[in-house]
Amino acid sequence: MREYKIVVLGSGGVGKSALTVQFVQGIFVEKYDPTIEDSYRKQVEVDGQQCMLEILDTAGTEQFTAMRDLYMKNGQGFVLVYSITAQSTFNDLQDLREQILRVKDKDDVPMVLVGNKCDLEAERVVGKEQGHNLSHQFKSCAFMETSAKAKINVNDVFYDLVRQINKKTPGEVRKVKKVRTCVML
Amino acid sequence: MWKICGISKAEPVLFAHYVDDDYQPTWRLWGEERVDGAVYTESDDEISHLEWETVRVRFVKAGTVERLVEALATDDGELESTYVNVSFAECNRVLDLLLRRYEALAAEDVLPTAVLQKLAIFRAERNGMSGGGGGGGGGGGVCLAPGMRLSAHHTSSYRLPHVPHRHFAEQLTRMDMELFKKLVPHQCLGAVWSRRDKDRSHDAATVLATVNQFNAVSFRVISTVLVEPNLRPLERADILASWLDIARELRVLKNFSSLKAIISGLQSNSVYRLRKTWALLPKEKAELFDELARIFSEDNNRWAQRELLMREGTAKFADTVGENDRQLQKLLHERGSPGVSHGTIPYLGTFLTDLTMIDTAIPDTVADGLINFDKRRKEFEVLAQIKLLQGAANAYHLACDPMFDRWFDSVIVLDDREAHTLSCQIEPSTNPPKERRPKKVNDNNGHGHRKNDSIASTSSSNSSQFYCETDGTATGWKRDSLERRTSPTRLSHGSSSSSLPSLDVSLSSANSGQKPNGKAGGASPAHAAARTGPDFYIIRVTFESDTVETEGVVLYKSIMLSNNERTPQVIRNAMLKLNLDGDPDAYTLAQVLPDRGRNVASSECKCILRSEHCVQSELHPAAAPAGAGPEPVANGKPRGKRS
Repeated sequence: MREYKIVVLGSGGVGKSALTVQFVQGIFVEKYDPTIEDSYRKQVEVDGQQCMLEILDTAGTEQFTAMRDLYMKNGQGFVLVYSITAQSTFNDLQDLREQILRVKDKDDVPMVLVGNKCDLEAERVVGKEQGHNLSHQFKSCAFMETSAKAKINVNDVFYDLVRQINKKTPGEVRKVKKVRTCVML
Repeated sequence: MWKICGISKAEPVLFAHYVDDDYQPTWRLWGEERVDGAVYTESDDEISHLEWETVRVRFVKAGTVERLVEALATDDGELESTYVNVSFAECNRVLDLLLRRYEALAAEDVLPTAVLQKLAIFRAERNGMSGGGGGGGGGGGVCLAPGMRLSAHHTSSYRLPHVPHRHFAEQLTRMDMELFKKLVPHQCLGAVWSRRDKDRSHDAATVLATVNQFNAVSFRVISTVLVEPNLRPLERADILASWLDIARELRVLKNFSSLKAIISGLQSNSVYRLRKTWALLPKEKAELFDELARIFSEDNNRWAQRELLMREGTAKFADTVGENDRQLQKLLHERGSPGVSHGTIPYLGTFLTDLTMIDTAIPDTVADGLINFDKRRKEFEVLAQIKLLQGAANAYHLACDPMFDRWFDSVIVLDDREAHTLSCQIEPSTNPPKERRPKKVNDNNGHGHRKNDSIASTSSSNSSQFYCETDGTATGWKRDSLERRTSPTRLSHGSSSSSLPSLDVSLSSANSGQKPNGKAGGASPAHAAARTGPDFYIIRVTFESDTVETEGVVLYKSIMLSNNERTPQVIRNAMLKLNLDGDPDAYTLAQVLPDRGRNVASSECKCILRSEHCVQSELHPAAAPAGAGPEPVANGKPRGKRS
């Protein structure tokens, strides 16, 4: 089974953790334990293929700026999250994307732009159009508005990423879990 | 040899040209005052909205070295910014006089504490500086810039790679320990930490302090590796090795915070990508790096570090190694039982993520609106662990070394882009540089760019704040308060050992809306020029408008400029930085030369900058426009900046 390392990035308070929890757990659970080994792993079927997704959620560590490079180095696909209720969280993404491209040393990295909290229509300050425009500017970057709370589009974000990764790196399909990241050059 | 060059304090007479109905001239020249050993230009400065107050402004026009130095160091501890990059005497002489001046002021008890501290640093560092020649200065002159004057990376007593590793590890641990013991555990709760916003940031202040320290350590790793572009690869590899040795000691001290910070710094892209440098690292150091990095592997929900913390958190000393960790095994074997027990400092991020996740995943209340105590219990388990480790941290007994703190504060901090640029200068990218910088998003409400404008007043209380703000969206998690913490001693990139010379450029607009100097044409033939010096410069751009309102207040923005950039693009970048709207064609770009002359850059030519130091540079104009050029710039001095 192919393993996918997906990194969820975005400013504090945009609901990254909610997206991840919603995707991995499905429901808000009482027996949730964030410290166990597989709390961020989920097996899904995308286009008839079994995939193991390992989600790296940066929630709570947004301000450890020096660590972002490492997250980015290890990730294969990226979810860039902003909140439609806070303009600044939207503005921050441009830099994040730049940093990803720099770290990856590529022009094109599997990525989904996500405007979260779309259930809070009354508090919206970032228009859907703005999100669309930014994703166009990002070249081949999907865009979705989601609500972790109302369970809108959450799975689609991750499925889309899996498809993007498959498309860009189709060769690695048979790789099994034992992918040790080579740390030395 | 002893001459003043580049002093170009605002020329008050000039401004009288621009009187109109709405504005009174704010400057009036009174004349010159001669005192023993110095001539001052005097004028008054009526601040328009403070009609009742007249400030007498006195600029030194000429003077003996002694007098100049006296004027240089104002009694509020500010450095007179017109002296920046002025060569007027031998380094040692000026330093001597400056020191005496400050000591005199100190004796009068008029100096703020911060300045006194700097004075102490200054004393300590002076010998080193007179011996070492101060690195990249060149020539016999002294270059001082605000913000960098009293402590400089290369004049510190500590200089990587030749530092006592154990001592460094202990000092880092001491810093971490102080912050960790002050940490208020409940500030880590998801409900507090992850929901912090600007108004509530103080709610999580103690958490933020530890995060900032973590980042500060990483930044120091990055910057010490990159900041001297001319090191031989082997020398740079020694710096890497040195950090690894410090990291190894941190492992023994069970300080997982700074340990991870160092590893993160080494793994940051700008350092990590230096293949040639890493290739020169001795094999056992490379192994050590692997082993230390494995501790912080993200795999399996960070299983390795969770396990390690569980085992060693309250143990007396480090004794856990994986079976593949040859270097660490060797280390612990060599050290044996250390005799003294160490505390533990955890990497806080894992707790913060866990608490954020708990807060997200588990509802506060259950059905019927009852308080979900399970959630609280779960949170408490994490908080209790933190508390336990805080208790364990008392086992550290580490003396404070002020010299280390000074070294720590003196290290220049590069932002992500600067680091990347330097890194690419050291080892060029294998991929040719691509256009990766899409245009900035202009958000509708336009908060974006206004944030960090620095205002340098040209009145006598020059505060000259400079910084290199690389983009407008400096909100959220970008440059956080760490910057503020370290800023007082932050160095100027331009005049420190960094390889980014600074140029002063002013962007001028013909106020009447006339369109000066050729339109931006299509592609123009690139001037073939022998490239000497670095590929990038940081230039400071100021906006000269004809209106009186900006007099006395000059906005500077720093932008990065490559040899390949064309003037229209530079103008566009500058406008973006200065938050100017309108047609780029309506602006010209002129470089301010040391003699106050200016070169106006044609829009069709490539900026070819040749520069050793600050202002000697050239723009190659296709045709120097006559007439349309803006008025001479009064504020054309190169200035230091604090970033």
